[in-house]
Amino acid sequence: MSGLFGSLSIALSGLAVSQQELETSSNNVANASTPGYSRETAVTDPGAPVVYGPLTIGTGVVLEKIESLRDPILEIQLNQETQQQSSLNAQLEQLQQMQTQFSSATTGIGADMSNFFNSLQQLSPDPTNLALRQSVLTAAGNLATDFNNAASSLQTQSSNLNLNVVQDVGQVNTLTAQIASVDQQIASLENANEDAGSLVDQQTNLIRQLSGLVDVQVVQTGKGGIELTTSNGTALVSGGQSFALTTQVGGNGAQQVMAGAQNITSSLTGGSLAGTIEIRDQEIPGILNQLDQLAAGFSSAVNAANAHGYILNDNGPPTLGGNIFTTPPAGGVGAAAAMQVAITNPSLIAASSDGTPGSNGNLANLSAVANEAVANGETPIDFYSNLVFQVGSTTSNASADVDASGQILQQLQDQRGSISGVSLDEEAANIVQYQTAYQASARVVTIIDAMLADAVNLGVEAAVQ
Amino acid sequence: MRVNPNPMPDLLAALNQTQLQAQEAELEISTGKSVNEPSDNPIAAALLIENNDQATFNTGYLQNLTTINGQLSSADSTLSSVQSALQQAISLGVEGANGTLSADDQAAIVAQLQDIQSQIISLANTSYQGNYLFGGTVTATPPYVADGSDPSGVIYLGNEDVNQVSIGSGYKIDINQPGSQLFSANGNSVFLALNNLILALQSNSGVGTAVGALTAAANYLSVQGVFYGNAMSQVQSQTTYLNAAKLQIAQQQNTLAGVDLATAANNLSQSQTDSQAAMEAISKLSQNNLFDYLT
Repeated sequence: MSGLFGSLSIALSGLAVSQQELETSSNNVANASTPGYSRETAVTDPGAPVVYGPLTIGTGVVLEKIESLRDPILEIQLNQETQQQSSLNAQLEQLQQMQTQFSSATTGIGADMSNFFNSLQQLSPDPTNLALRQSVLTAAGNLATDFNNAASSLQTQSSNLNLNVVQDVGQVNTLTAQIASVDQQIASLENANEDAGSLVDQQTNLIRQLSGLVDVQVVQTGKGGIELTTSNGTALVSGGQSFALTTQVGGNGAQQVMAGAQNITSSLTGGSLAGTIEIRDQEIPGILNQLDQLAAGFSSAVNAANAHGYILNDNGPPTLGGNIFTTPPAGGVGAAAAMQVAITNPSLIAASSDGTPGSNGNLANLSAVANEAVANGETPIDFYSNLVFQVGSTTSNASADVDASGQILQQLQDQRGSISGVSLDEEAANIVQYQTAYQASARVVTIIDAMLADAVNLGVEAAVQ
Repeated sequence: MRVNPNPMPDLLAALNQTQLQAQEAELEISTGKSVNEPSDNPIAAALLIENNDQATFNTGYLQNLTTINGQLSSADSTLSSVQSALQQAISLGVEGANGTLSADDQAAIVAQLQDIQSQIISLANTSYQGNYLFGGTVTATPPYVADGSDPSGVIYLGNEDVNQVSIGSGYKIDINQPGSQLFSANGNSVFLALNNLILALQSNSGVGTAVGALTAAANYLSVQGVFYGNAMSQVQSQTTYLNAAKLQIAQQQNTLAGVDLATAANNLSQSQTDSQAAMEAISKLSQNNLFDYLT
């Protein structure tokens, strides 16, 4: 087909496509700051040509499709880095909270131990002095109280984390349900070969949010469908269906994450859920265990030293000392929380080594606990100062990891922006281009109209305008 | 390459970073410490625990030194008093050995010596802050009680034990000498010698020998008493040492956790400048785009 009507139809195709292009740009501008939106572009093709003998004549322009610009690999990297970042962030937040009780060198368990040994030294020149004896008991009491406080605040932190686990699991379930529903919509569209652009954006966005909570892996199943699993293979979304996770209180009183009957708590590797569980199940019990070791070792050593000497017993026969601290639980578990001073009578401190009240010989044994390997082959102060180092270095490493991961994430987001982000300048330039094209096509229509009038009126200008 | 059209998140991250730095510098300046949490410097935080331990012990040792110095000097001056009483007794003995004295004079000398005897008993029963100094570790009851049936005129109720006090890490000193090594030492007992002198004067025989024995016992006591002088000089030099160590410990603490105020202030103003620059950039951002120029 050719001739003036052919040209008219070509001009019309130009008008239509320019309008479509303008619409696409205007949609981009409208979504310039929509999170997760990928800019769209109208893909056009020349119309299929008509062949007349030796001639190949064009038939205008065809809008092939409206395509979203995104890099699926980049989206996967962003998911992974988000999982990493959220896990580290959750850990750092908790570690920073945890380390506050180890932050002072002049108060707390370390200083209490120093003060306890110092009070024994103070007693040694005047071992019968009841005020000095009382200050040994006071120092012992302060130490026990600070052990109790440290243990209880770690336990409180741990039980607060249980709330976080339950909340996170609830959010995971909300998100997987939303993702499944979007997936169904996409599947129905893609089956009809329709563009699912903004739905895919929506889904990508939801998966990004889910990555903040849990280590989710995305598998494309073809025809636009996806399957989501955790990195250990627990299904979250499959075939447009979501599978809810549940929580259940475990044997240790901690909330466990369940997929059906399977406990997946310890297999989670990313997202805030994994970070929270890492702190709750590894870091806090680790620190508590060390506090228990120290409390148990310290109490036992002081008690043993006290049993070597004689109490202040002016009128009675020489009597060996008993426990200063309550006997720590067998195996030391819970020793920090249970530590208590066993005596209230300061005379029961066994300062004497020969049974006479004025002897201070056994104070040397009590003081020697300061240099005794009470826990893990270390002296009390060395053990505690190592613990402080450990807490500090774990926290500072986590902080460095958060920074590093944050930078990678930022870079990936920049990269995503450079591919999928809407540039207003670009859209403005495109719009100008589309406007011009539209105007040109319209002009062509006017000209053809004039030419058709010429043809219809056989050269007489007045009749048809 | 296409640039990321939305640099806002980057700029906000940069702004956040500068504000964090400013906060850190402010914290350092306000607390005067560069280690406010273990994570600020884990090694320093651990060393600060040890440093505080040393500081606590150092203060404790210094306090102990003050206490035992009082005790030692009280004992030392007691021994001086005993010594001068003994010298007086020796002079009286020499006078009595003369042989030309009347019975009345002799009796007067004996009476004076008996006074001296009870004075020395009372000195040997000196207490410091409620603790008897010369009873070994029996500090609650007087170590010497007059007893006419004993050849020395007294009996010793103390023991042979010595208390030690730590005045430094791994540094202990004896803080007492039992009376049994000072006044009633076997073979050199001043009490026995004094009582023998009184008996000799009363029986008017062997007075010269008794005076000689008392002189020997007094000398022995004076040699034994050197212990207190030595201990006090140890206390003195250890006090000097610990005061120097105290400075060192404080210096170490400052090195570990102190803030260089100039640097911190500089960091603060630097991060404030950075923060302003970031805000400036944000405010300038996307004020203009191509749409503004379309007509």
